[in-house]
Amino acid sequence: MSRSVWKGPFVDAYVLKKAAAVRESGRNNDVIKIWSRRSTILPQFVGLTFGVYNGQKHIPVNVSEDMIGQKFGEYSPTRTYYGHAADKKAKRK
Amino acid sequence: MTAQDRICIGAIQGAFGVKGEVRIKSFCADPAAIGDYGLLTNEDATMSFDLRIVGPIKNGFSARIKGVQYKDQADALNGTTLWIARDALPNLPDDEYYHSDLIGLDVFDTGGEKIGRVISVHDHGAGDILEISTPKTKSNVALLPFTKAAVPTIDLATKRIIADPPEGVF
Repeated sequence: MSRSVWKGPFVDAYVLKKAAAVRESGRNNDVIKIWSRRSTILPQFVGLTFGVYNGQKHIPVNVSEDMIGQKFGEYSPTRTYYGHAADKKAKRK
Repeated sequence: MTAQDRICIGAIQGAFGVKGEVRIKSFCADPAAIGDYGLLTNEDATMSFDLRIVGPIKNGFSARIKGVQYKDQADALNGTTLWIARDALPNLPDDEYYHSDLIGLDVFDTGGEKIGRVISVHDHGAGDILEISTPKTKSNVALLPFTKAAVPTIDLATKRIIADPPEGVF
């Protein structure tokens, strides 16, 4: 069963506080370390970078518009597979 | 030609059927692209394979190799890795890089001090990330967002990356 709409999206309060503090300081490139994988990604997080804990380390997550409504944990896998580099590409944004 | 000039793009996993076809595992970003690179070689470049993809099968592709006609010939190739020259990869637009080019680059900070070395590149859906081996963290690993702000300069000729790590990376 999905979450009731009247409750609104769930976000741990400390995540909101940390994000607001970084926004105010203007240092949007800083990695905001969080442990809350269950928090929903809100519109005010767009453009910020969160370091989402995966049980071992904080994985940098650049929040973009199409991630709104999903959870932080979805972008920080807890199991890492090192495949072959082969012809895979990386784009610098 | 050194190992760094060549890239592993797949492996032969034995025979497929009894008519000399082989089972191929592709490591390419688009698995079917393994058939587009022309002549492939084994790891030490002593053998070359003219590969033609026949069709998709479970966990890979079935393929025909010129000169391989029987099942026992195909079985003999089991475990052989397939390599291409780095030059065979097409050129990329600005700000796009092959993982194989980035892995192994030395990372320096803006002051010229060496931070570490790139050991892998990840993409978990929220932008690419460079995994750097460095003595500066407790776990000896740091994850750097692959952005223009965090990685302003990439010099493939001198195999150097100049990084400006944001607060919270180390």
